[in-house]
Amino acid sequence: MKTNYRILDLIRRDRAPLESHLIDGLVDGRVSRRDFVRHGSLLGLSLPLLGRIGMAAGFGAAPSLARAQGAPGATIRVACYAPAGAIDPVTNADGGGYLMVQQVGEFLCIDGPDLVLRPVLAESWKPNDKGTVWTFKLRKGVKFHSGGEMRADDVVATFDRLADPAGSSNALSVFKGVLQKGATKKIDDYTVEFHLDAPNGNFPYMVSSDNYNAIILPASYKGDYEKSFDGTGPFKRENYTPKVGASFVRNEDYWGEKALPDRTEFTFFADIQPQILGLQGGQVDIINQLSGLTSIGLLNDPNVGIISLKATTNRQVHMRCDSDPFKDPRVRRALALSIDRDKVVAGLLKGRASMGNDSPFAPVYPSSDTSVPQRRRDIAQAKQLMEAAGAGKGFKVTLTAMSFQEIPAYAQLIQNWVKEIGIELDLNILDEGAYYGDAVFGKSPWLDSVMGITGYGHRGVPNVFLAAPLKSDGTWNSAHFKNEKYDMLVDSYIAALDLEAQKATAGKIQELLLEETPVLFTYFADYLTGTAKGVTGVQPSAMGQLFLEKASKA
Amino acid sequence: MSLSLITLFLLSIMVFLGGQVLPGNVGRAILGPFADQRAVDALNHTLGVDRPLLAQYWGWISNFVQGDMGTSYIFRSPVAPFVIDALGNSMKLAAVAFVLVVPIGILGGVVAALNLNRPLDRIISLGGLSVTVLPEFVTGIILILIFGVWLRWLPIAAAWPKGAGFFTQLYYLILPSLPLFLVLFGYIARMARSGMIEALDSDYTRTAVLKGLPWRTVIWRHVLRNALLPTVTVIATQTGYLIGGLVVIETLFRYQGIGSLIFTAARGKDFPMLEAGILTIGIVYAVATLMADFLYSVLNPRIRLGAEQ
Repeated sequence: MKTNYRILDLIRRDRAPLESHLIDGLVDGRVSRRDFVRHGSLLGLSLPLLGRIGMAAGFGAAPSLARAQGAPGATIRVACYAPAGAIDPVTNADGGGYLMVQQVGEFLCIDGPDLVLRPVLAESWKPNDKGTVWTFKLRKGVKFHSGGEMRADDVVATFDRLADPAGSSNALSVFKGVLQKGATKKIDDYTVEFHLDAPNGNFPYMVSSDNYNAIILPASYKGDYEKSFDGTGPFKRENYTPKVGASFVRNEDYWGEKALPDRTEFTFFADIQPQILGLQGGQVDIINQLSGLTSIGLLNDPNVGIISLKATTNRQVHMRCDSDPFKDPRVRRALALSIDRDKVVAGLLKGRASMGNDSPFAPVYPSSDTSVPQRRRDIAQAKQLMEAAGAGKGFKVTLTAMSFQEIPAYAQLIQNWVKEIGIELDLNILDEGAYYGDAVFGKSPWLDSVMGITGYGHRGVPNVFLAAPLKSDGTWNSAHFKNEKYDMLVDSYIAALDLEAQKATAGKIQELLLEETPVLFTYFADYLTGTAKGVTGVQPSAMGQLFLEKASKA
Repeated sequence: MSLSLITLFLLSIMVFLGGQVLPGNVGRAILGPFADQRAVDALNHTLGVDRPLLAQYWGWISNFVQGDMGTSYIFRSPVAPFVIDALGNSMKLAAVAFVLVVPIGILGGVVAALNLNRPLDRIISLGGLSVTVLPEFVTGIILILIFGVWLRWLPIAAAWPKGAGFFTQLYYLILPSLPLFLVLFGYIARMARSGMIEALDSDYTRTAVLKGLPWRTVIWRHVLRNALLPTVTVIATQTGYLIGGLVVIETLFRYQGIGSLIFTAARGKDFPMLEAGILTIGIVYAVATLMADFLYSVLNPRIRLGAEQ
């Protein structure tokens, strides 16, 4: 297809410089169409507009998640992990808890399976020139299940509640250094401004489904969520029994397209095995979250469909940079070179993962610089590095890891591979609670161990992974990595609004982390959902949310 | 009775102190490792777990003795309904398992003893022992696969629909009680068998046979009553396991029993729930032991008469 400059010029006329620059990047071939759509959605360009630009630039229309619609009226039965405690959108930190809230509540925008932001309760958004103020236009005519209309006051109250240091907000760590209580301002009933502590080019992700606590609640919300289960979503709570399950029914007053299923039923489980047996035994239709290792039996089952989303779920192997034996970066690099990443992806993750290059920049992020060479296993070079660092004779060290999904098996693989370069690992596998301990320095094997493996869930942008576990003052910096240059690069990455500027900084960060290697990122696991044969229209998110409004059963 | 109360009191202190040794704190357990410390502190303050230990314990025990089990930290609602529901469920499952395993286990042991060293004895003894050593999660998964997934005769999860009647509940409880049957059958059958062998070999049995009593009377009146005494003790000690120790079975069959309730409470450092759950099991254990003593005296006149004298 040919480029239609006349239409492009017409579109450019109304666009901000940042948006025009992105359009230029697409036309010149510096930005791929996939990255153009993702970054365009971040800047608040609507999907139809992105589609028009794509067509004019000689590409096809923007990718769409639309698919054939199934029959209405089904009851969709889901197996999921039990919420860890009381359901409260402000405090919930576990998958089971925020899955429940997300069934009835909605976000300003959602981070789709393709990492493209889509508007939900916000119709559009845009940053100021510096990226310090983001303005969100809210959708009109949205009603809470309790009756009132959703307006700017509710959005302001929601984010003030989440950013309140005196509250018990689980999102406080997301908003630290980004958004203060009182910095969300109502402009009119349908316009809200977020005044940030510092420029932030990825801010819309922090008010999207990526921040699972950011469900919009009425301004009057005072806690005790289980009594109301209030929200604006396509389903309303029918019944909720702690530890047992929940059911939801279609919200006939929903602002958008009405949900197809009449009801959804969630059954809570404490473990994955009974969920798998439940799906195979026909007692549930969906398992919300599977992992590669536990779902081996299902991957080849003709009666089960696997929805596989490219995600950034990772297992960070940290090495303490401030103490022996990992003080010398050459030793850390040597260890990284002994890992057989192909085998990790193909064997441990059954191919349901992307390879990592020892930085949080997963291949799926549009800002990742894919021209940085991939680190691969090289025992000869690893041995040379060990010699050069004066560790040629090897050493013995303890690898502390949490007992979660495939992590213990991963620890054993690492133990075998590093033997070849003379490193003897003692494994110390701890229960999750014991591993995290008090989660503060000095009282946590996670943050204090010389070497450890920690599981991190998916994030739509790498900001969290770049800051807390790696910056000098990071609260999750278990590697005790302190590097001024890195800190500056991350600040500049976070502030950048322009995709090409983000990419350029990302490349520098990736190079620096390959050189220093405080943390191994050897794979990014896909997010897997299992469905029974004949179940269609199920839309999971790699964060663990499950959108069932288009679900149906044959 | 007073001894039981002292035991329960000591148990409550041990649980409380044990809970303090576990790493982490309640706020951290609820908000997760990645939450900001300020949020954790605020939540701990709201829940009152930042008070001195003695104040926390005193606050709890003074309410508990008045019948108030307190409010769960993690579920933020009263503990009592959780414990009562879970205890009810556990007792139902234990009852079904008991009704299945006690008569069949004793019968197996009696038949084995009466056929000592014959093939039937070998089958019961070896078969019983083999299934006893298999962990219940292994037998559980095999049974689910056979009866739930392949044949689809029985529901996989033990949680029956709301408002289900007696027979529906029983139908849902068959599958989870089978692994318990397999675990306990060998144990009870072996105890009954060895008791029977001893009793059959005794002087009073020989006397009974030699004085011309029918064989059936000898077994019922003389052998069985003596043979079952150790078995009764074994059954009583298994009550604690059947009521509170079924975490694995409850997880596998998605059953809301008191075992998994305590496990969840311990993981979340939910002290009021943990105390209430463990003390409830303590009470059940004490009652079961009392009942076993009573049954023992019914079966063994020497104890009853000895006490009267």
